[in-house]
Amino acid sequence: MKEPFVIASWPSVPVEIVRAAGFRAVFVRGAPGPTPTADRHLEQGIFPGRLRHLVESALTGRLSDAARIVIPRTSDTDYKCFLYLRECVRRGVTSALPAVILFDLLQSCGAHVGAYDAARTRALLDELASISGRTPSADDLRQEIVRANAARAAARRLLAFRRIVPRVTGTEVFPLLAAFWELEPERYVAAVDGAASAFAKRSALRGPRVLLTGAPVDGPELHRAIESHGAIVVAEVGPWGSGAAGDEVRQHDDPIVALADKYRADAVGARTPAASIRHWTAGMLDDVDAVVVSLPPEDAVFGWDYPALRDMLQARGIPHVCLRGDQYQAPTAEEHAQLDAMISTASTLQEARHG
Amino acid sequence: MAEKQLDTTTAASAFQKQWFGDLRRRVFDERQPYALLQADVPFELFDLAGIPAVSNQWWASMIAAKRQAPQFFDAMDADGLHGDLCRYCSLGYASTRYPGAGEPPWGGLPTPRLLCARLTCDCIHRVFELWADAFGAELFEIDHPGAGDLPVRWWELGRHQWRELVEPHRLAFMVSTLESLVERLEAISGRAFDRNALRERLELVNQQEEVFDQVRQLIATAPECPVRMTEQITNVMATQWVRGSEWALAHARAFRDEVQQRVDAGVAACPGERARLMWVGAGLWHDTAFYTAFESSHRAVFVWSMYLAFGPDGYIRYGLDDPMAALASRTASFNEYLHNPPWAAEWIVHQAREHRISGALVLRPRSMKPAGTGRLFIERALEEAGIPVLPIEADVVDARAWDGDAARAGVRSFLETRVLQ
Ligand code: SF4
Ligand code: SF4
Repeated sequence: MKEPFVIASWPSVPVEIVRAAGFRAVFVRGAPGPTPTADRHLEQGIFPGRLRHLVESALTGRLSDAARIVIPRTSDTDYKCFLYLRECVRRGVTSALPAVILFDLLQSCGAHVGAYDAARTRALLDELASISGRTPSADDLRQEIVRANAARAAARRLLAFRRIVPRVTGTEVFPLLAAFWELEPERYVAAVDGAASAFAKRSALRGPRVLLTGAPVDGPELHRAIESHGAIVVAEVGPWGSGAAGDEVRQHDDPIVALADKYRADAVGARTPAASIRHWTAGMLDDVDAVVVSLPPEDAVFGWDYPALRDMLQARGIPHVCLRGDQYQAPTAEEHAQLDAMISTASTLQEARHG
Repeated sequence: MAEKQLDTTTAASAFQKQWFGDLRRRVFDERQPYALLQADVPFELFDLAGIPAVSNQWWASMIAAKRQAPQFFDAMDADGLHGDLCRYCSLGYASTRYPGAGEPPWGGLPTPRLLCARLTCDCIHRVFELWADAFGAELFEIDHPGAGDLPVRWWELGRHQWRELVEPHRLAFMVSTLESLVERLEAISGRAFDRNALRERLELVNQQEEVFDQVRQLIATAPECPVRMTEQITNVMATQWVRGSEWALAHARAFRDEVQQRVDAGVAACPGERARLMWVGAGLWHDTAFYTAFESSHRAVFVWSMYLAFGPDGYIRYGLDDPMAALASRTASFNEYLHNPPWAAEWIVHQAREHRISGALVLRPRSMKPAGTGRLFIERALEEAGIPVLPIEADVVDARAWDGDAARAGVRSFLETRVLQ
């Protein structure tokens, strides 16, 4: 029998909760390719690829084995996707759909948000536990936190091979970081340890170090495009890459509260407070030579951060490029030319700095 | 713009001017602290605290009506804000951030004491944070919990069973957030908040919306539409911003009486009416003449927009023993009602039937992504109910890409091929 699993639309759904309730978490990611069934319901230019693919799979019966589809309220489009799927069920557009539930995690700094999130996290656990019939104790939850924290520590070991003197390309390491979300923690730690010992033997990679920011990516396609010009992507914003590990979840508190706090602060997405992304980005700039800002056509949020970021980069003399394409499609010839120009400027600056 | 048909419309416009003049006096001359609010924030709380409030959407529509929006939008483009970002909620911000780019009405907004927004669309946090920063002012955010469950025919529950309308945890969150807001307002104004006054205010809001409900009934049932949609909007909006005030209630009644007189006398907005149209979405503020452009040629009149219709269904709350909870229940789900399935589509079809609508024009907002969601569900539901739909691609305040002639030609052909056969 297949292991029971839950589909989630963004890694702001706590894996610890899903696992403690007896499920494996499967997170949706985007892909190239058409989504004709989803296109009947999802307006053009608004929903990211991952949600179009989620709806396509849902409406064509490919998710019928999942125990639940969990949609976090960590972006407006995720929330709308939840409402649309429920409406499709109500209107009989599809019947082969597992129940769709909203995980209403708020991310603002309001005084009552923390308590609200903890209660919603509790409700998610209760809902999942009611299906599996496995109600975890606080100690069971702590156990899952300890396991996931071990995997986080492993992911941080990978990050060390990217900072300052990189030994691994972004294209190579991104899938390893992303695997944090889906692999069992022990298997994840083993996989990372294997990779890390190989990376440790490598010599330093040459080429300008690039930070990929803007809208978080969920695949390494942009890394590949950037690195084809001789640069190394050493960090990217978002929970699939550099942010996969984030801070440890507190192990000695109420586990529900600790998890709610962790995911509210760390699951970077469209509703993460701008100041926290700004802070993270500023902290990265000491160790990069160039910045690529990805603002895909459906972006309604991260573009607002751009003027301040551009001013900061200009003040520090760090070259940058803005890409407006879809992350799953190859950049245009013009964008490649821009990348090429940025990277040669960055190389020149890098050489000047290091003599 | 077409000539005003109702005296109350002229009075509403005059009141708006006087109201802003008054606001300017209070803010500039008397240096009273004022608040800058997103339209869906409960204004009543500010008014009861004695803090004058300006709505972002109203300010944006003023800038657009003065034809200054393109200049500010150009400044945003030039500063690297890409063209797919919302250009409605952000127009006011642009008028502050790029002061030299255009001439905002009345010399522009002075620095508010507080900005306040509900975090509905993802970008609201960004826009208001940038705006607060540009002013160097404080921002209070009201987060927006998602509705996991909402009754489909919400308008039937809102008045008497509003506690069933919003899930208890969302309602509790909204109440505690509004309580925190009240604490801030008390600190700013130095006045204790008066809950009885809130109850009285909400009772007056109920009365005002009951009057608008009567107007809506008159419009829906009169043989021909007695008042143009644009004039409905002017009258409603002038009172909405000061809802529950003496003036608002008196004006709502005067408006109703005038509409009643027109109905009694058989006066129509467009005599010989042949097509009754509904406008779904925010108003096209930069081209309001669009809404009267098909009257003489096709006897087609815009009868319905959400602006009048939403008041009675969205605002009335009976049973005010806990006025803050009533207010919170009203505030919690605005956007769901207006945009999202199933609530928006069900309501709009219901309204279309009540108003004997023969064709619907549905806004496809170009840069307002979140407002564009739910549109396909609405369009499909209307068509399934036998109401032909014409999507109109436009930006409500950004006139730069608007081809008014082409849009009018599209409507004429829609009327001829789908509505008037
Ligand atoms: S969609 Fe509408 S409410 Fe949302 S940010 Fe844009 S203009 Fe504002
Ligand atoms: S009508 Fe919609 S788009 Fe406009 S302000 Fe309200 S919620 Fe935003």
